[in-house]
Amino acid sequence: MDTAFLDPTLDRTTIKPDEILAPEQLTAWYRAMTLARKCDQKLAALYRQGKIVGAVYLGIGQEAICTGAVSLLQPNDYFSTVARGLAGWFLRGVEPKQVIARWLGRDVPPSHGRELGLFFADVERYGIAPYHNGSMASWIPSGAGFALAFKIKKQPRVYVAFTGDGATSPGDFYEGLNFAAIHKLPLVVIIENNCFAYSTTVDKQMPVANVADRAPAFNIPSEIAFGNDIFEVRRVAKRAIDHARAGKGPYLVEFKTFRTHGHGEHDDMGYVDAELRAFWERRDPLRLFREYLYGADGFGEAAVQALDNECTEVIEAAVIWAEAQPEPAPESVTQRIFAP
Amino acid sequence: MAVITYLEAISQGLREEMRRDSDVIILGEDIAVFGGAFKVTRGFLEEFGADRVIDTPISESGFTGAACGAAVEGLRPVVEFQFADFIACAFDQIVNYAAKNYYRWGIPMPVVFRGPSGGGFRGGPYHSQNPEAWFTHVPGLKVVQPSTPYDAKGLLKAAIRDNNPVIYFEHKHLYRRIKEDVPDEDYIVPLGVADIKRKGSDLTIVTYGAMVHASLDVAERLSKEGAECEVIDLRSLSPLDRNTFLESVRKTSRALVVHEAQLTGGFGGEVAAIIAQDAFDVLDAPVTRVAALDVPAPFSAPLEDAMLPNPEKIYNAACKVLGY
Repeated sequence: MDTAFLDPTLDRTTIKPDEILAPEQLTAWYRAMTLARKCDQKLAALYRQGKIVGAVYLGIGQEAICTGAVSLLQPNDYFSTVARGLAGWFLRGVEPKQVIARWLGRDVPPSHGRELGLFFADVERYGIAPYHNGSMASWIPSGAGFALAFKIKKQPRVYVAFTGDGATSPGDFYEGLNFAAIHKLPLVVIIENNCFAYSTTVDKQMPVANVADRAPAFNIPSEIAFGNDIFEVRRVAKRAIDHARAGKGPYLVEFKTFRTHGHGEHDDMGYVDAELRAFWERRDPLRLFREYLYGADGFGEAAVQALDNECTEVIEAAVIWAEAQPEPAPESVTQRIFAP
Repeated sequence: MAVITYLEAISQGLREEMRRDSDVIILGEDIAVFGGAFKVTRGFLEEFGADRVIDTPISESGFTGAACGAAVEGLRPVVEFQFADFIACAFDQIVNYAAKNYYRWGIPMPVVFRGPSGGGFRGGPYHSQNPEAWFTHVPGLKVVQPSTPYDAKGLLKAAIRDNNPVIYFEHKHLYRRIKEDVPDEDYIVPLGVADIKRKGSDLTIVTYGAMVHASLDVAERLSKEGAECEVIDLRSLSPLDRNTFLESVRKTSRALVVHEAQLTGGFGGEVAAIIAQDAFDVLDAPVTRVAALDVPAPFSAPLEDAMLPNPEKIYNAACKVLGY
C-alpha cells in the first residue's frame, strides 16, 4: 500500500548523513526545525483563539527541505520562500518573535503591518529576497532576475527559489526557467511537492508523474528526492547549488514531502486519505532527525530534550514579546507607497 | 540644440543614461540584434554589449519579473514591450510584484517599462491600445506619457533615475511625426509635473500624449475664431499634478478633458472628478470629456477613424463647452 504514496527507491524511515558533520551544525539545523514546528503550532493556537485574523499558513511536515538547502548557502546568496519554509528563515537569523508579531499585524519591520506573516523579505539583513505576494510561480522570473544581476556583476552567488508543486502549472514557472536556462543563470528551483495544491492532487495538476519531468523542456538537470530527510536534502541540494554557482545554469530539484496541515488553518483537509496521512506521519522530518540524534552519532535523548525545551521557551517568550508590540498607527497607512 | 524626432529623443535619452550609469540595462523582444521593432535601440548592442542589451524570449511576464528582481539587486533595468498592448501578459508581475514591493518591504525597485502605445495607423485590436488607466489605478506605480521630443527625453531620464517602477508610454504615432529642438546638455523633466503647452483664458483643455497635438490644433483654430484655449499636458498621470490644471480651470472656468484611450474608466474620468470636486464653484459649464469610443481598436480605416478622438471631435466638444 505504501508504494502507492512514494516511490520505494526514495522512501526511508531512518536517516543518516554521508558527510562528517560538526555538533554545532546538527544543533543549528535541529533548532531551526524545532523552532519552526513549535512556532507553527503556536500560530495555529493563536489563530484558533482569534488573535491571528484572516488566515494562517503553516509548514508543518516540510521543515527539512528549507533547512537542508539553506544550510548550504553562502551569506551573500539569496533565497525566497513563503512561511512553509519558516525553518529556513530561522536558520538565516530571523527570530520567531518577528514572525509572530508580523502574523499579529504589529508595527514591526520590515512590513510594519502591511503584509501577512506568510511572506518575509529582507535582503540586507538576511539575504531573503522580495517576491510576489500571490502566485507562487511568480518568483521564478524574479529569481532569474536576481541571478541575472549576479551574473552581470560577475559575482559567484546563487538564488534559490522554494516553491510548490502547484506553482509549476502557471506560465511564470516556464517563463522564468526558460529565461534562466537560456542565459545559464545561477538559479536553483526547489519544488516542495507536498501532494496537494490547496485541495487539488498532483494528478489533476499535471500530466506527468513528477514535477522534475518538466525539466527536459529547459535542457537543465533535475533530481527527485525524499524531502523529509535533511541529510538527503543536503546531498541533492548541494549538487544543485554547486552546479548553479559554477555558471552551468539553473537546476530543478523536486522533494517529495507532505503538508500535514491544511492549505491554511481554515482548511480541515477533509480531502486527504487517512492512510496517506499515516504514511507521512511515520516519515515526519523532525521525528526522523530526532531519532538520528538519539542514536550513537547524535547527542542522546537528554540533550535533544534540552534543545526542545529551549525552543519551547523561545516561542513562549516570542508570543509575549509579539503581543506587547504596538499595532501600526492608522495614519501610517498612506506612508511608504513610493521610495524616495 | 538639434532638431530631433520624438523617437530619436527616446533613443538619445536611453543611450545617455546607459553611458552615465553602467547599472542601466535594457531587455525586450528584438531590441538587441534588430535594434527594436521601432529601432529605438538601434546600435545599442554594439555600444553596450550583450550583458546590458538583452534580447528576450517572447515571454513578457518572464522578462518583466526578471527585470524586477535585477532592479532590487542594484541594476536599473529598462524593459521594452514591443507594443504596449503586450504589457497585459506581464500585468501580474507589474501590479502584484513591482507596484507593491516597496510598500511591503521598504525595498526600492527602480525599473522602467516602456510601452509603445496608441493608434491611428491601422494596427488593429492588439497593436493600438492606450492602457494607461490599467495602471493609474494601482498604487505604487508611476505612469508617464510624453507628447514632445523634449519631454520624451527628459521624462525617460527622470524615470530611469527614479527608485520606483515607472511605466513610460510612448505614442507610436508621434515617433517620426513630431520633431523639435532638444538641448544637447543633460536635463530631466521631473515626474509629476504638468506643462502648459499653450496659454489661454477661455477654456482649459487637459490632455496628454498624442491628443496634446490634436488639442493644440484645435486651440489654434479656436483662436482664429476668438476663443483662447489653455492646453495642459499632464505628462505624468501618476503622480498627478493637480494644481496646474486646477489653477487653469479657476482662471478659465471651463474644462475639456481629452485622451486617446477609451472613455469609460479612462484617466480623464479622474481628472474630471477632481475638477468637479475641487473647482465646482468656478465652473461655467459641465466638465466634458473627449475620448475613444468604448470599443476595441478596429483595424479598418473608416472604423478606426470613427473610434478615435480627433481635432474635429475635440473642436465640437470645445465649442459646446465654450457656448454653454
